Amino acid sequence: MSFEGVGKRFGARTVLTGVNGVLRPGRVVVVTGPNGSGKSTLLNILSGLIRPSRGSVRYLQDEVELSRRGWLSKLGVVAPDMAVYEELSALENLRFFTRLRGSKADDVVLEGLLESVGLARREHRRPVGAYSSGMKQRVKLAQAVLHEPAVLLLDEPSSNLDEAGHTVVGALVAQFRERAAVAVATNDPRETAWGDEEIRLAV
Amino acid sequence: MLSEAMAVLGKELTGELRSRVALNAIGLFALTTLTAVAYQIGPYRIAAEDRPHLLAALLWIILFFAATSGLARVFVKEEDAHTAKTLRLAARPEAVLLGKLLFNLLLLVALEVFIVPLYCVLMAYEVKGVAGLVLVLALGSLALAAVATIVAAIISRASGSGTLFAVLTVPLALPLLVILIQGTRAAAESPDVAAVWPALRAIVSLAGVTLIASAYLFPVVWHD
Amino acid sequence: MTDKRWLLKWLLGVWLAVVVLGAFFYAPTARGFKGESARIVFFHVPQAWVAVLAFCVNLIASLRFLRTRDPIDDARAASAAGLGLLFSVLATVTGSLFAKVMWGSFWNWDPREVSIAILLLIYAAYFALRQAVPDEERRGSLSAAYAVLAFVTMPFLVFVVPRIYWSLHPDTLLNARGSIDMESRMVQVLVASLVGFTGLFSWLYTLSVRLARIRLRRQQGVEG
Repeated sequence: MSFEGVGKRFGARTVLTGVNGVLRPGRVVVVTGPNGSGKSTLLNILSGLIRPSRGSVRYLQDEVELSRRGWLSKLGVVAPDMAVYEELSALENLRFFTRLRGSKADDVVLEGLLESVGLARREHRRPVGAYSSGMKQRVKLAQAVLHEPAVLLLDEPSSNLDEAGHTVVGALVAQFRERAAVAVATNDPRETAWGDEEIRLAV
Repeated sequence: MLSEAMAVLGKELTGELRSRVALNAIGLFALTTLTAVAYQIGPYRIAAEDRPHLLAALLWIILFFAATSGLARVFVKEEDAHTAKTLRLAARPEAVLLGKLLFNLLLLVALEVFIVPLYCVLMAYEVKGVAGLVLVLALGSLALAAVATIVAAIISRASGSGTLFAVLTVPLALPLLVILIQGTRAAAESPDVAAVWPALRAIVSLAGVTLIASAYLFPVVWHD
Repeated sequence: MTDKRWLLKWLLGVWLAVVVLGAFFYAPTARGFKGESARIVFFHVPQAWVAVLAFCVNLIASLRFLRTRDPIDDARAASAAGLGLLFSVLATVTGSLFAKVMWGSFWNWDPREVSIAILLLIYAAYFALRQAVPDEERRGSLSAAYAVLAFVTMPFLVFVVPRIYWSLHPDTLLNARGSIDMESRMVQVLVASLVGFTGLFSWLYTLSVRLARIRLRRQQGVEG
């Protein structure tokens, strides 16, 4: 996907100006910048959840441009302000998201996914509300990769995670880098190390 | 699309049955209002010629205001819990609208099943046309749920406050309320289902028009 | 171009002055109305008309905004709504005053009275919604969505409810006001007033939109 000249203004405050870039499988793009520089906003614009005030975002698959609706189903997003349902268990959450995307939910596959992000089997059926913040983050990661996304947008993916959790995120990035366009917004130097390309934002 | 909407409905029901927040809010509100009315007014304090008007109107006052206290939750809680973004990315807007609309409808129906018989007993409300009343309640709930759901979606993207929800719903629901009261009166006074037909026609067309407008407007509201 | 505007403005002013004079001196008092009270019709009816006209303009601007996302369309919608609010307040107040003089009470639940009051509520709700959304583009799309929703439910107020209310209140006061056999002089003044008020709306609306355009241009100039 490509974006050019992207700018965003919230009322009187301009958060982004003239940001360009291209995301494609094989190259991980890291977005860095101090707090308030618009990293999350940029990712929100790329995910199609916010319209840019200026500029455009285009998503192409096999040379064919997709509409915004078409994109959404191919995205996997993790963000600090995106939560999963706390009244449901991790397994129920994943089942729900699978059904929403029109697929049949296979518990075996889902439990396997939860284990691969480091969630012990005995936790799978407890309500997410009872989890620690690290565990919640892991469920968010699982939710993002559940449907084999073609674009992975990770906004501070290791927040709330310990060393083991950080390794899990790294493994996911490594797993998806060749088959999806990956972008990571972060200030964590361990995460910026994953990037092949950097977009630096200023306040 | 239907299975996706059912998934949304299922999720809402599961969540609601576990936490019971909306049910409690609506139920308690209705029960309190009903108790106040029944205690102060009861079966004996209304003159016979005023009974048809007042009893129909009071019933809908109780139902309507209980509904406004709980029908906005379905969208507001998504925004509050930050799950709205997740849902937006994963689901089609039509499925979300339909699922949440059905949830609100079920909530309303549950409220009516609880309150209406209680009301009739406590207020000695003699309803001659039960079938007619059921029809008015059922279709009226659909219309009310339709209006409330799209307004809930709108306010959830604004400040999400309950006051804003009430302020926006009242002008739109007022004509519906008038028709519902009229229909209830007609049902109470006559065992013939045909008596409620004029009201039903209006209710169904209002519901239809609101649903069509919602289908067009919801993606705009939901996706910003 | 400015000369033409200046000329039209003055023409409007003169026209309205003539209308006012005509209302008080040229037109006769209508039979069946108390004293001079009929004269309020010359102001009340056009105000109600403008309130509805503004509603239609708002609808068109809202629909355009939903399509184009151009902030000027949102400004147009808001301008129309602001004027609509003003004129519906005026219409409700003048209608109320008339009701007091004619029938002794400020409010009579006449269907037309109720319709204009609900229109007022819709405008108020529209602005309450706008107040609650800080982001400009979202404010535009949410208020446009509400405007469309309100417009879609309006026919039920105007057409269906009166039909139902009629049966409840056989002695409606519409006959007294709605009679078409007015003396020709009254018709003349009324029509002239309608034209004048429409002109007034048009002038105020254009001013408001021009102001908004300038404001937008300045805002865009700031961001370069």
